[in-house]
Amino acid sequence: MSWPYDSMQLKVMDDNMLKVAVGEQGPQEEAGRLAKQEDILFKDVLSLQLDFQNILHIDNLWQFENLQKLQLNNNIIERIEGLENLTHLVWLDLSFNNIEAIEGLDTLVNLEDLSLSNNRISKIDSLDALVKLQVLSLGNNQIGNIMNVIYLRQFTCLQTLSLAGNPIAEAEDYKMFIYAYLPDLVYLDFRHIDEQAAKVAKIKHQYNIDELKHREAQMQAQLEDEQGQREKLAEHKLAFIEHLDGSFLFESLYAEDMEGNKLSYLPGVGEFLEAYKDKFVIICLNIFEYGLKQQEKRKIELDTFNECMQEAILENQEQGKLKVAKFEERHLQCLNAIREETELSNIEKKLIECSDDINELFNMLMMLEMQLVEQLEETINMFERNITDLVGLFVENVQSLMAQCRDLENHHHEKVLETAINYLEKILKGEMDKDLPDDVRALFVDKDTIVNAVGASHDIHLLKIDNREDELVTGINSWCTHLVDKIHKDEIMRNRKRVKEITQYIGHMQSELDNLECGDIID
Amino acid sequence: MEVLREKVEEEEAAEREEAAEQAEHAEKMERMVRLAEVSKEERILTQDELRDLEKKMMAVEIPIPAERPIINKAIIDVSKLPPSYTTNSPKEEHLLQVADNFSRQYSHLCPDRVPLFLYPLNECEVPKFVSTTLRPTLMPYPELYNWDSCAQFVSDFLTMVPLLDPLKPPLYLYSSTTVLKRQKGNCFDFSTLLCSMLIGSGYDAYCVNGYGSLDLCLMDLTREVCPLTVKAKEVVKKKEKVSPKKYAVKPPRDLTSRFEQEQEDKRQQEIQALEKKRLREEEEHLLEAEKSKPDPLHGLRVHSWVLVLAGKREVPECFFIDPLTARSYSTKDDHFLGIESLWNHRNYWVNMQDCWNCCKDLVFDLGDPVRWEYMLLGSDKPYLSLTEDYDEGMDNDDDVEYLGKEDEDKSFDMPPSWVAQIEITPEEFETRCPNGKKVIQYKRAQVEKWAPYLNNNGLVCRLTTYEDLQCTKGLEIKEWYQNREDMLELRHINRTTGLHVDYFKPGHPQALQVHSYKSMLPEMDRVMEFYEMAREDGLIKREETPMTMTEYYGGRSDFLSYRHINFGPRIKKLTQNSAESNPRPMVKITERFSRNPEKPADEDVAERVFLITEERIQLRYHCRDDYITASKREFLRRTEVDSKGNKINMTPDMCISFEVEPMEHTKKLLYQYKTMIHLKNEEKLSRHQAWESELEVLEILKLREEEEAAHTLTISIYDTKRNEKSKEYREAMERVLHEEHLQQVETQLDYLAPFLAQLSPGEKLTRWQAVRLKDECLSDFKQRLIDKANLIQARFEKETQELQKKQQWYQENQVTLSPEDEDLYLSYCSQAMFRIRILEQRLNRHKEMAPLKYLALEEKLYKDPRLVEFLKVFV
Repeated sequence: MSWPYDSMQLKVMDDNMLKVAVGEQGPQEEAGRLAKQEDILFKDVLSLQLDFQNILHIDNLWQFENLQKLQLNNNIIERIEGLENLTHLVWLDLSFNNIEAIEGLDTLVNLEDLSLSNNRISKIDSLDALVKLQVLSLGNNQIGNIMNVIYLRQFTCLQTLSLAGNPIAEAEDYKMFIYAYLPDLVYLDFRHIDEQAAKVAKIKHQYNIDELKHREAQMQAQLEDEQGQREKLAEHKLAFIEHLDGSFLFESLYAEDMEGNKLSYLPGVGEFLEAYKDKFVIICLNIFEYGLKQQEKRKIELDTFNECMQEAILENQEQGKLKVAKFEERHLQCLNAIREETELSNIEKKLIECSDDINELFNMLMMLEMQLVEQLEETINMFERNITDLVGLFVENVQSLMAQCRDLENHHHEKVLETAINYLEKILKGEMDKDLPDDVRALFVDKDTIVNAVGASHDIHLLKIDNREDELVTGINSWCTHLVDKIHKDEIMRNRKRVKEITQYIGHMQSELDNLECGDIID
Repeated sequence: MEVLREKVEEEEAAEREEAAEQAEHAEKMERMVRLAEVSKEERILTQDELRDLEKKMMAVEIPIPAERPIINKAIIDVSKLPPSYTTNSPKEEHLLQVADNFSRQYSHLCPDRVPLFLYPLNECEVPKFVSTTLRPTLMPYPELYNWDSCAQFVSDFLTMVPLLDPLKPPLYLYSSTTVLKRQKGNCFDFSTLLCSMLIGSGYDAYCVNGYGSLDLCLMDLTREVCPLTVKAKEVVKKKEKVSPKKYAVKPPRDLTSRFEQEQEDKRQQEIQALEKKRLREEEEHLLEAEKSKPDPLHGLRVHSWVLVLAGKREVPECFFIDPLTARSYSTKDDHFLGIESLWNHRNYWVNMQDCWNCCKDLVFDLGDPVRWEYMLLGSDKPYLSLTEDYDEGMDNDDDVEYLGKEDEDKSFDMPPSWVAQIEITPEEFETRCPNGKKVIQYKRAQVEKWAPYLNNNGLVCRLTTYEDLQCTKGLEIKEWYQNREDMLELRHINRTTGLHVDYFKPGHPQALQVHSYKSMLPEMDRVMEFYEMAREDGLIKREETPMTMTEYYGGRSDFLSYRHINFGPRIKKLTQNSAESNPRPMVKITERFSRNPEKPADEDVAERVFLITEERIQLRYHCRDDYITASKREFLRRTEVDSKGNKINMTPDMCISFEVEPMEHTKKLLYQYKTMIHLKNEEKLSRHQAWESELEVLEILKLREEEEAAHTLTISIYDTKRNEKSKEYREAMERVLHEEHLQQVETQLDYLAPFLAQLSPGEKLTRWQAVRLKDECLSDFKQRLIDKANLIQARFEKETQELQKKQQWYQENQVTLSPEDEDLYLSYCSQAMFRIRILEQRLNRHKEMAPLKYLALEEKLYKDPRLVEFLKVFV
């Protein structure tokens, strides 16, 4: 690789360079002194300026997690890289570099202002992640295709765009084109867009834009449609009855069932199959509807439970807050009294009073918390019982419905077997139809073969039904156990957090009092 | 018919003798009954005693003035009234006959009852039937569409004159137009006017002639509670009992003794019962004191009021309106002691029900002929209730009469009202009360009302409440204002505490809503409430005491909701510089903020206290969602002695903090330093704001004083009568119009008119005459032009001469002139020069214009349609 610049000037973005830059750009005077004393962490830096440094590679920036503004202009950067961690970046300046393609910006979702002017970019793309983009500067680049601008239509916040100095800007229609295709734009090439001109442009390109809009709307609608379907499916999955609202299960019975498919060619079997399918689908729909209803019930149950829990906790919190507020008021008075007191014995007496107060507060808060724990425990247990009952009932009913499915299958199996045997007899008697495919005819060799075939089909069907049932039952059971576990765990976490908070607060109060004691004794 | 009437008359004649005796007896009996009523409380009297009493009563009877004073006649100009007032139409005559007949039959049938009030005299001494005196009128003011506002208007507009004889209906009943003109009337005039208005606006209203209590008849409200003092009853909101949810937690076990609780409750109840009893006794005592002395004429005082029946205008049930006070009463009210008769514009009904129990048992079913005897059959009967059982036996004797009446009256309808259209001018409507002022006495209260714009401070109503019944010790005063420029609406003065509360409508320049104060001096107790939406800083309320100031804010972008400032005692300044104000030093500023949802709770300050003298700043943060304790931080700035502004040597002991959830970055000195610098600036700002608040209070007080002194009133731009500006504008417009009109007349001036007038009328113009006419006209015009020129010339010369004279005089006396004379001379010169110049200009202009004008006239004459055909040849 041949360096286009004198290698003497080249600098590497290393820790030292960054430290110097941070130090220089950080707080000054007293604050600077403090900063130096404490060392600035890179992750606390919000803004960084690295211009005119002859940097070739962007590097070592991963620590600047909270960086919001980064200036890397007037360097000799060739590739945009190493910015993946800077997700809080709002302002990025990469102008006056040697960048040829836009890349590596996929994680910068908060970026609002991007400057890439005076580079060698020839195509606008890879900006999809930048949904908040407001200002985009691409002046003095090598963008040559005016249609490339249409790519920018997706950025609804984009207000300012500069493209001057590109080959496309020399086109006669350049401005009109952009006015028309980016109607939300306010500034183009650092000039305010005249409303009149925008109107004219819009009329000029009316036809194309309408077409474009139509396409976009179609895409949008399709996306929404898919989204809706996905959501519906997710909802059904939550109720553990996905794909039961139709013939999906029935079709899956025959999906891997070679023999069954072959047998359906037999005269009469087709009719059986139709009847069987209808009945089967009806049962499936029953399960589906029942499942949805049960899901709704469970949801209501859970919601009321959560609501009640929340209410109880909030009420308890309010009580706690009140106690703390009262205590603080009294405590403050006490402290003031101590400060004003001169006699040592009185001070000590008051100090003891204070410390008693603190202890009392501690006891009170802990008692409140214990009370709440007891109350919640009881409620949680009740909920657990109810939800398990609900789930049990659901499983039971679904199983009985599934049993109906199995009965249907058995019934169908018998019929098919009978037909098949009859048919076999016919074949053996020589009264055979010519229109049977060869592979089907292969089954009708002897009785065992045909019985086996029908039996295999039957087994597959039963297996499928069993699998579906198992899936449902395990799904709902695991959901139930998970839920209950989570509730218990949350409650324990909550309790721990509160106890920790109380002890911490009491500890603080106590230590404050102790400090006061020391101070007073010293005085 | 004739036969029937004769028959009736015969019967009457036969019964007359009997009746005379009976009547005498009945009269006695009735008197006795009434006397018994009066002395009901005492005991049952013996016959002798009754006679004695009767005699006494006869002696006691109030001396009745001879007749209605004739002064009224002077006021009412009878001659200007329309003829319907002074004469009766044939139909009315007929009606009067019918009424007379009815009256006679009535007195025959019910000899023990007082004669009916049927056709009193009107202001022109002409008997008029009462129903025709009602003139249903719908007023053009939307305010007068409902009964309450109508009644209020009538009660406000007229002044009550008591009946001459409180025991008899008046001899005269004036038309409503006259009553309105005089703004005076008795209860019959009141109810006639009110009834006319109510019927006009669609109510089923009736005038009632009956008996009322003393208070009612004399419009004495001193035993009534003033409606303005009655506080609206607070609607007690019933708390919806929320059914306990399925998973609601059980309350913690109650460990207190139930028995003890019960005992305590019992004790409390006893105490309460005692208290209640005491209160009740007191109340009774008070009531006793308030009770009026029994009225010796109770039940005999004649009164007239208005009855509104249910049905029309969505009136749910019948009620009375007392037109004197505009109050509505239920038909069962104690004040109304009996009804003789009632009428509307269509018919007249006599009450046949017994009034022993006041009006409480009366049934207002006017279609029931047993209860209400009607006079005209042809009119509509509002409620003919068929369920009433008709007592055949009793009515057998009267059948004949009924028949006769029916036959006679069936074809007869009430003639139209003789009263002219009732009109109320907008001025009268606005002024309302006679002379715009009215005073009403209530129980322990006095209400004064004024018309708007009558008082130059905008006062329209004043309510004074008193502690005692005699109205000597004032309790509080409420004053209502209207149309004030400072938007003052109501002033409430509490006499005992000296507290003034001013209420403002939206629109005060300082967005003031309520201002309560004891004195207008600054730094005293006061509360100001504001329309916070109208203020930039969102201030809702500011409370002041001598040492503190508390402000409440709402809807601010910095979430400030409360600021409390403690002041210290003033420090005496050594340099006595009076120009510089000496503000009270601030000791402590407490500010509270509501939660800013965009910040995490740990960084969102809930309260900050600047202890200015101690140089300490305390911060308390908002509580996190699941926590019960909040972070706190306290900064000490003791070490900030450095004179170089911000240079503080930050040390860890300057900041004491308690954090609910210890965080890394807040431990750093840099963070603390930054926070402190920020707080220092904030402190400065807060102090500045507090200082500005103080200034604002002073400003508001000053403004209030100015407004109070000026008390200008606003005048709506639609008020053409009062709005001077619009009046001027209108007059100017009229003037312009007038001038334009004049100009137009001028342009149409006929030049030939004087010359044509010389010719004898009707004569046809000959050509010769036409030519002569033209020449004459032109020469005349020429002469005028020359005259004008001469006139201007003469004036010009005169001015010039005078000027020259003056100049000469000046030059002669130049030396001896005083400076004033010189000034006078100079000003004269300049004025004279100006006049001369103008005259010169006019002359020149005239010279230029004269030929043109002459030519223009000539051309005009050629084109004149009268001359054109004769002069055509010449052209």
